[in-house]
Amino acid sequence: MEKKEYDAVILGGGLAGLMAANITASAGFSVAVVSKVFPTRSHSSAAEGGIAAYIKDNSDPNDDPDFMSYDEVKGGDYLVDQDAAELLSAKSGEIVHILDSWGAPFNRQPDGRIALRYFGGQTYPRTRFVADKTGMALLHTLFEHATGLKNIDFYNEYYVLDIVKEGKDVNGLVAMEMKTMDPIYLKSRALLIASGGLGMIYKHTTNSYINTGDGYGIALRSGVALKDPEFVQFHPTGLYPSDILISEAARAEGAILKNNKGERFMARYAPHKFDLAPRDIVSRSMTIEIREGRGFEGGYLGLDLTHLGREYIMDRLSLAYDAAKTFSGVDATEEMIPVRPAQHYFMGGIDVDITGTNHDLNGIFAAGEAACVSVHGANRLGSNSLLETLVYGRETGNAMVNFLKSHKSMESNSNVDSIINTAYSYIKRETGEHFGTLLNELRDIMWDNVGVFRDQKKLEEAVRKISDLRKRSLNMYVTDKSNNYNTEAFNAFETRNMLDVAFAISSAALNRKETRGAHYRDDYPNRDDDNWMKHTITYLGDNEIKITYKPVNYTRWKPEPRVY
Amino acid sequence: MEEKEITVNIKKYNENDGAFWKSYKVKADRYTQMTEVLRRIKTEQDPSLSYRASCHMAVCGSCAMKINGVPSLACKTMAFKATDEKNEINLESMDYYKEVRDLIPDIDTFYDRMYKALPGLAADEEVIAGKAEQRMLPEEQKEVWQFQGCIYCGLCVSACPSVKEDEKFLGPAAHAKGYRYIADDRDTKKEERINTLMDSAWRCTSCYMCYEVCPQDVQPVIAIKKTKSYLNDYRGPETDVIAMARKHDNAILELINDTGKIKESSLYLKTFGLGEAIKDSVNMLRSGKIKYAFTKDNDVKNINEIKKIMGDKK
Repeated sequence: MEKKEYDAVILGGGLAGLMAANITASAGFSVAVVSKVFPTRSHSSAAEGGIAAYIKDNSDPNDDPDFMSYDEVKGGDYLVDQDAAELLSAKSGEIVHILDSWGAPFNRQPDGRIALRYFGGQTYPRTRFVADKTGMALLHTLFEHATGLKNIDFYNEYYVLDIVKEGKDVNGLVAMEMKTMDPIYLKSRALLIASGGLGMIYKHTTNSYINTGDGYGIALRSGVALKDPEFVQFHPTGLYPSDILISEAARAEGAILKNNKGERFMARYAPHKFDLAPRDIVSRSMTIEIREGRGFEGGYLGLDLTHLGREYIMDRLSLAYDAAKTFSGVDATEEMIPVRPAQHYFMGGIDVDITGTNHDLNGIFAAGEAACVSVHGANRLGSNSLLETLVYGRETGNAMVNFLKSHKSMESNSNVDSIINTAYSYIKRETGEHFGTLLNELRDIMWDNVGVFRDQKKLEEAVRKISDLRKRSLNMYVTDKSNNYNTEAFNAFETRNMLDVAFAISSAALNRKETRGAHYRDDYPNRDDDNWMKHTITYLGDNEIKITYKPVNYTRWKPEPRVY
Repeated sequence: MEEKEITVNIKKYNENDGAFWKSYKVKADRYTQMTEVLRRIKTEQDPSLSYRASCHMAVCGSCAMKINGVPSLACKTMAFKATDEKNEINLESMDYYKEVRDLIPDIDTFYDRMYKALPGLAADEEVIAGKAEQRMLPEEQKEVWQFQGCIYCGLCVSACPSVKEDEKFLGPAAHAKGYRYIADDRDTKKEERINTLMDSAWRCTSCYMCYEVCPQDVQPVIAIKKTKSYLNDYRGPETDVIAMARKHDNAILELINDTGKIKESSLYLKTFGLGEAIKDSVNMLRSGKIKYAFTKDNDVKNINEIKKIMGDKK
């Protein structure tokens, strides 16, 4: 088996991974970026609306970083670590400047400065954007910058199997080249998990097909904790019926949600912010409207852009227009776009501190959606995911550099063989269950039982069924025995990861007996600060999820009712 | 929603069996994307079916393939619209690239071309140091964004006839990328970019296949034409192609100055010379197209007005 050694190995070639790679490589360390796709295919490219940033001398004159942090804290329903939010706001302007200097073509104001617009939950407009393909523009900018650096090697279309460790020390990872199915041991002192989200565990999601929660599964199996996994965001405007994202930018630019009576129903749920209330609130309101019979046949509502005018729509919301036209046959300049909530983002993630460092193992870091730094708390605001990937990608890159300066390489590869043998066992087995059967069942359970509205009964059933699916998955087998680009094998590995993280999500959701942000319990409809103002920490045990807690970090804002 | 059963014929490939066609019956409705059709086949009928797909909204460029012979993104193709009168759809791996497995080709050559186009902004040092702010007018941002829209899907290169004939031609996508930085006034190495791209740009035959197949409407051929217009700023080696380009440019100027028109046959003669022209007339004679070389083409009447404009331009 091939073996290569680097100072740092980064799992994931999206914005967080590439930002950290840039920082680590620029400090003189050798870096391997490993991704199951070519980096520009990463889900960062699908981010549409923009990146929030307070830029001195180029923001609303009344705005300042404290307002921005406050918006994040309130938007996250007070489960936000406030030091993390303050850091995110403080560095936002710098990050936009860096991306601009690397070539990001941000939309401009007439005087040539970077333009800005409102997004949900913002007191003042702060979102910077490149039309409505901001993620793609930033990802390409960062990738093109990274390919110019000498000490980054890209392992594109390599699937990561598991972490190699010696006791509590990380010693790299084992990956498989997808084209040849050959395993490779990438040995390293530092390992960054920046593998993005998990949307594919839900039947309805705006996420890419590749978002299969690989990093979470790998972390859980190595004894690394996930923080706050019960918090899953449902985006209000998934296009009906394909669940393609219609950006919040549409509502930011003036689009209005309407029910089958033509009512602007958000006026009833969020009398001040209307359609631009945070996503959890809008998604819940929409689900209630549909549930109470005020949706359209098939179960959707209307997003009305028609009053914005054709020219404005084409200039600022071309992707939304194209998506509605191509995928739902609707001309948004003349008719309402059919929308319904769909899974969109995972607020939970690998438990890391404000530097992106995890403390369950030495040398393991996480950034981006894979991580939970607790800047989003119980609900993420729009435009903050791109910002988080870059700000915390950079912070984590710096933390890795510091770590590498003081930690030496060690000789050991104790669990390499067992990682490979487990992976091959799916292919060698001649009978059992297909990944597709397990996966389709999982996606139904998560959508029906661990969705927008939850309760004890639904969640108990989910935990029981997922536990059962995990047992059945031990017998998972791959019909395709070939060793060139055997995607069936990779789907089986992905299914294993999805089952592990779904187990953590449903168990934590069952455990948290209150309503907060995106976690809404019909049986506990109120926030309970006395008992639940704390982070959930989940570890994977023998067919059980072990739960402990960590305190929320306060600096200045005390919890108050969350009204929009 | 009304569903109907469609037949999907897929050209599969693996190292042991080579290429072979396999058919699947799938239920779809009028909103079903081809990526979803593939997902259904894979999870319900043939788990071994291999293809690339990621964002399913035409921004990641993963699912490029030939659908009914046309280079397309599977996600952007709706199943119903793609079926023929027999209710069938044919899927194949893209042309030009080496087959690896089923609908997955090896497109490393595409990426190599992109890297050769010098992607990445070289900003001013003051800006990199955080001491200065870059400004950019909205019109300029629009021009850059037009060509930055490339999603690395590889369709244009697979469809480009020049790429297949001429190994020194970088191909459409790389030129869109290259020109995107030439057009960006924040960049500090415009000269190097022009010198890198010019010879290749003049190898394009302007057939517009890239324009046709690009799922993002990037219009690479337009980027190539715009790059060509920097010919007078080119300071690289005087290759045969550059020499031809200069003759071509001069011939156009001369023709417009003298006749007020671009006369295609004269332009051809002036650019490529008598030797090439004789060889090609033999070919034209053989294919019965020689009559086009003698199409009558009158001069513009008010030629003095044109000369005045041309004089101003000089």
